[in-house]
Amino acid sequence: MHYLQLGHLGSASILLAFGLALYSAVVGVLGARRRDARLQTSARLATVATFLVTATAVAVMEAALITNDFSVLYVAEHSRIASPLWVKIVTLWAALEGSILLWGFLLTGYTAVLAFTAPLSPLRPWALAILSSVQVFFLGVVAFLANPFQTLPNPPMDGPGPNALLQNHWMMAVHPVLMYLGFVGLTVPFAYAMAALITRRPGTEWMVQTRRWTLTGWGFLGAAIVAGGWWSYEVLGWGGYWAWDPVENVSFMPWLTATAFIHGVQVQERRRMLKSWNVMLIALTFCLSILGTFLTRSGVVSSVHAFGAGPVGPAFLAFFVLVTLFAFGLIALRWDDVRDRAELDAVVSREGGFLGGNILFLALTFAVLLGTLFPLVVEALSGQRVTVGPPFFDQVTLPLWMLVLLLMGIGPLLPWRRADGSSLRRNLAWLAGGFVVAGGLALLLGMREIYPTLTVALAGYNLVSLGLLLSQALVPRLRLSTRAPMAVLWSYAHESRRRTGSMIAHLAIVVVAIGIAFSSGYRVDQQLRIGFNQSATFQGYTLTPVDRFMERTASRITSGAVVRVSKNGHVLTTLRPRTNIFGSGSRPVTKPAVMDTFSHDLYLSLDNTIGPDTTYVVLRAVYSPLVSWIWFGGLLLVFGVVFSLLPARRRLAEHTATAAEEAAKA
Amino acid sequence: MRKVVYAVLGVAVLGVAGFMIYKALNNSLVYFVLPNEYAKDPSGFANRTIRLGGLVEPGTVHFNDNTLQLHFIITDSIQSYPVEYQGAPPDLFKANQGVVVEGRFQKGTFVSDQLLVKHSSNYKPPKPGQPIDVNMLKKTLQ
Repeated sequence: MHYLQLGHLGSASILLAFGLALYSAVVGVLGARRRDARLQTSARLATVATFLVTATAVAVMEAALITNDFSVLYVAEHSRIASPLWVKIVTLWAALEGSILLWGFLLTGYTAVLAFTAPLSPLRPWALAILSSVQVFFLGVVAFLANPFQTLPNPPMDGPGPNALLQNHWMMAVHPVLMYLGFVGLTVPFAYAMAALITRRPGTEWMVQTRRWTLTGWGFLGAAIVAGGWWSYEVLGWGGYWAWDPVENVSFMPWLTATAFIHGVQVQERRRMLKSWNVMLIALTFCLSILGTFLTRSGVVSSVHAFGAGPVGPAFLAFFVLVTLFAFGLIALRWDDVRDRAELDAVVSREGGFLGGNILFLALTFAVLLGTLFPLVVEALSGQRVTVGPPFFDQVTLPLWMLVLLLMGIGPLLPWRRADGSSLRRNLAWLAGGFVVAGGLALLLGMREIYPTLTVALAGYNLVSLGLLLSQALVPRLRLSTRAPMAVLWSYAHESRRRTGSMIAHLAIVVVAIGIAFSSGYRVDQQLRIGFNQSATFQGYTLTPVDRFMERTASRITSGAVVRVSKNGHVLTTLRPRTNIFGSGSRPVTKPAVMDTFSHDLYLSLDNTIGPDTTYVVLRAVYSPLVSWIWFGGLLLVFGVVFSLLPARRRLAEHTATAAEEAAKA
Repeated sequence: MRKVVYAVLGVAVLGVAGFMIYKALNNSLVYFVLPNEYAKDPSGFANRTIRLGGLVEPGTVHFNDNTLQLHFIITDSIQSYPVEYQGAPPDLFKANQGVVVEGRFQKGTFVSDQLLVKHSSNYKPPKPGQPIDVNMLKKTLQ
């Protein structure tokens, strides 16, 4: 079986996939230009073929990982016989080459689905051709620059296994996939936007057709960012969830511009305005995601997350430049089609609010981009290696966040075109009331830190805003209906899914903001040295290490301490912070233990390795108030997105049925 | 007329924002230096948080396990500085190990709150008496 080794099969699949993607792209463009239905159909079928062949490559790699076939280069470099099955499966995306393969695979999947579910329109062939071109890049990188399927003539007996930090938590299986689903999902509206420019159909058509894709991609990306924060928190041992690390920043920036985009879409749908903004925002989102991929895979930034230097760096940089030139060049070329012909009727209006939002999100993106790229510029110019620390990002972005929260409350209440004085003043009065009451409550309870207090005040303000929105929608309905209020609310929620979904999403943002404000502002961090069977107090808790433990499995050695946590004499729980060593010679990796409650987390991380002779434990104890609100807020956000995407109930049928019932009773 | 007002406002806002960003950036830049590089211009880094990279000089490690204070000397064979770190030494910390400490100089001692042990398979510490290849050291610590 020498010539049919898995490595050869994989390489052949990827090469074939590359060829098929190239075919789809070229034939797609030809079919679109000539409006030739046969060529277009051929291109569409080719996208399905590309997906199937790429899926084969992925299956081959998984097979090689699971069967410990060390003749495949990627397996030899990143897998280990003793690793549990789930780790082997997940090793597919644990390192550079595999992660690009995964991205390519998801992209081919999305493209194939789009090819057969997208409505027939002049946009479709161009959009598919653009997606295929992006596939050509990713599959090309895998096939020619970083081929994980290379065959080793003398395979080693075993491998080192994936990075220890990646084996420590099941989130490894989830976070990267969510991230790529987000990036790939947002490629679809980008492709459609470019198609709209090419075909000179810059209206709402392209946005309406991609609305679900956009929202799904945005949702996945948001979930990925929150999941990544949670993962850092649970694994890294410093009790924090966001360090403004370059790799974190590059996933965050496309989310910011995508958020501005999903809001700008509404203005275009209603008033046919801000077209140029929308097309630039989605182009920026895609370009930033490619820039991000370049930064994390080229070794130019120093980060705990970065994949390290490799031959793919220059390729990604070249692709980034190409994509940016293409997208913005096309926008410039078609500027007359997208520029706004009318001015805003009034600054204080729904459109004005959206425009303000766009500006804020762009300002945030710019600030983060500056902080992330500045070290590179400095190093390029002076050779000095620098890092831009969290204080910069916090100082510059926190005021902008407060403005975002402010706008989020008033924006949905502003009418289109122009706000008439009296209703605006009434709404503002209510909002101000909410702000003052919540802020006052915070000050009364002793809060003095500026940002947490401001966040609480703005949370009150936003809750009032949501209340006003709901009452504006429900009160007329309640007057006309004889049913119970809850039933009316339920019907409203199901009929106006977009509105309700957006309210849920905004509420989720408020929850996350509160979680972040309190867990950063009131966090207590202390290192404690406690002898076995002795106690130390921390934030009202009594911590007593009562025992040590050691586990040995095929793939790791674990040693840790059993710490009893009590309060007021009652034992609440037992936490087991530990250190793991995966494979011989690898670094010990700490795995913290967390006790999470609704109001705060008690987080313990071992700072010394526990051996049979160790007489004391050094614990890093972190008390983070309301940190679980962040994870809960993330889930709420996902729920809001899902809710928005479900189809709305048919209103007419419902009303007819209800009216008939009520008439029959009368 | 409205356009002129918007333009002036825009420039003003950008100006203020630019200044704020410049100040924030300046205060937050954390330079990475070896001891000999710091010695060339100590005043340039006065009152700033910096990252100091070097090797742990053998025989200088003291850990007080009651106060959890770690003392050692960091060196690049050209210049050495005493380091004070609040916390238990991580597992890989030992003599001749490459470390990066982040903090600031206070009266000649580097007081640090972050200590990273650099695990590199490329750099081999020199035998006693041999000079250290400073460039190689810097590369592996980054």
